[in-house]
Amino acid sequence: MGRKILLIEDDAETAGYITKGLGEQGHVVDHAGDGRDGLFLASDPGYDLVVLDRMLPGLDGLAIVRAMRAAGVPTPVLILSALASLDQRIEGLDGGSDDYLVKPFAFSELIARVNALLRRADGRGGDATETRLVVGPLEIDLLGRVVRREGRTIDLKPREYSLLEYLARNAGRVVTRTMLLEQVWDYHFDPGTNVIDVHVSRLRRKLDDGFEMPLLQTVRGAGYRLAAA
Amino acid sequence: MARLPTTARIAALSILLALLSNLALIGFIHFRTHDDALGALRQRVSEQADVLADLHASGGRWALADAINHALRDDSTLIVALVDGEGRVVAGNLVETRLADFHSSGFQTGELRTRHGTRPKESGFVVRTFPGGDMLVSGRSFDERLTLQRTLERSLFVALALSLLLGVACGLLIARYVGQRVGAIVDAVDEIGEGDLSRRAPVLGGGSDAFDRLSARINRMMDRIAALMDELRVITDSLAHDLRSPVGRLRSRIERALATEDDALRDQLLAGVLEEADALTRMLTTVIEISRSEAMAGRQRFARIDPAALVGELAEMYEPLAEEAGVRLQVDVASPQAIMGHRQLLAQAMSNLVDNALLHGASGGCVTLSTAPAGPGMVRLGVSDRGPGIAPADHAEALRRFGRLDSSRSAPGAGLGLALASAVAHLHGGRLELDDARPGLVANILLPLDTRPAAS
Repeated sequence: MGRKILLIEDDAETAGYITKGLGEQGHVVDHAGDGRDGLFLASDPGYDLVVLDRMLPGLDGLAIVRAMRAAGVPTPVLILSALASLDQRIEGLDGGSDDYLVKPFAFSELIARVNALLRRADGRGGDATETRLVVGPLEIDLLGRVVRREGRTIDLKPREYSLLEYLARNAGRVVTRTMLLEQVWDYHFDPGTNVIDVHVSRLRRKLDDGFEMPLLQTVRGAGYRLAAA
Repeated sequence: MARLPTTARIAALSILLALLSNLALIGFIHFRTHDDALGALRQRVSEQADVLADLHASGGRWALADAINHALRDDSTLIVALVDGEGRVVAGNLVETRLADFHSSGFQTGELRTRHGTRPKESGFVVRTFPGGDMLVSGRSFDERLTLQRTLERSLFVALALSLLLGVACGLLIARYVGQRVGAIVDAVDEIGEGDLSRRAPVLGGGSDAFDRLSARINRMMDRIAALMDELRVITDSLAHDLRSPVGRLRSRIERALATEDDALRDQLLAGVLEEADALTRMLTTVIEISRSEAMAGRQRFARIDPAALVGELAEMYEPLAEEAGVRLQVDVASPQAIMGHRQLLAQAMSNLVDNALLHGASGGCVTLSTAPAGPGMVRLGVSDRGPGIAPADHAEALRRFGRLDSSRSAPGAGLGLALASAVAHLHGGRLELDDARPGLVANILLPLDTRPAAS
């Protein structure tokens, strides 16, 4: 399950901390300390993911993403940056990167996002015509937007359905609150309250009430996970 | 060429203009009144002198004297005198005391007195001298028209001189006045430049003339700069001040975590450290967002937005949270029109207002999200609660960055929510208003409508 990840980061301490953390997750991390080496390595299609600091000495990390995309390298890119304003984040996403994480970040947030990107890379080109998602006893009909658990239909509001679909596509992996906010609501700001938690606990009540095994789990200090089995 | 000072150039220009316009006027009058009467007189007098001189040459002194006496009998404008070498008038009607001053000359004009006339008359004449010492003064007095014309021309010349004088005086006066007015403004700006931001440019006449308008503009600019400087100072002070408490909490938790032997307590303390660090990051992000909005960054991301849809989305997002807090969340959408806006920032601003309403107004049991037309070309996005509200006197403090009312000091938050909403409203060319909802607080974001023709 180990994957090859390229980390382009000029700050040695941050780089060491990320390399160690991703290594503990079973990934192999190559590290480039400046933009030139980074750009050279990033054009190698052998990487499953590029994690990129936006502010490199003498170079905007976004330029590397643009160069990769221009050269037809499809490797997913996660930008790490201290440039934290909404517009800077949207600019990063518009610039061809797949995700944007603001420094300082919680490591659990980085892991969750890395895993989501790796999963998405797996699915790319594959089951685009997928019509059904199955997570353990849960069955989601993507065309009819109908959810069943052990044959019993679960009535969901549209937003609850989107929430469940995103969790189900990342089944077995931790999904953070900000990821949900960005992916399900398309809001890129932090509301700072537990607004997401309340939505999830509502969904959990509909999903798990009356069943023995809880499917929608809270992962302390990180986020939520829809049990894979 | 060295450039003259501006005031001197203004003076020179006004003098030149006065001179030119007077010259044009005088030239016009001269052109319309002048015919060459003087030229005709000159020719007649010259010919007459030639004839008389010929007579003297051919017939001598006495032949000429006879001819003169003869001619004077039936010619009233003729002025003539034959003078001998001792200055005695031999013949003619000229009565002149300064005959000794007369020298041979071509045509000239001057006042000559005749034997019959009561006063000297304006005349044109020629003086000839003959070998042997005789001198002939031969001329004619001006007729009335020529006299009038001469008077007019003289008056015009005087007028021209006067106008030049007046022009110079006016020019100097204008230059002095302009110089004084500009000087006063320059003095004020200089003092401001040296650091006295409270100094203002003088406004003299109720703001009606150009200098007053310039002063008023400078003053308005200075008011804005002073307000911004104040705000900046408050922000820096408050940022430094507001960072102290979370950093202090961080520090004490880390200290206790290092000191404790109890693993469970250490975990709990470290979790608190994380939370505190996250809150700090959030606060800094919001500060950045506020200053970017105030610097008008992000307008290039404006897109057409339906305010009703935005309000609907937020209501849907906050409905579960409200329910948990025991608050009924209502939506009131009236005839919405599209606006041009930044969806993310507007949503964040509105979410801050809803957060505030749920935090401070939950006791009222009801929070309403609404959108409605608000006067010509404006739309209102409002959040109202039925809680205790904010006293009107405290509204300004509530809107201020890091402004926190004593009543809410204990509640979480950095006091940036309303400041962000206000900055976002400004970014959109609108404003944030707080009002009494009787009971409760209503916060309205007023935004200009999209005035472009409907997109296809």
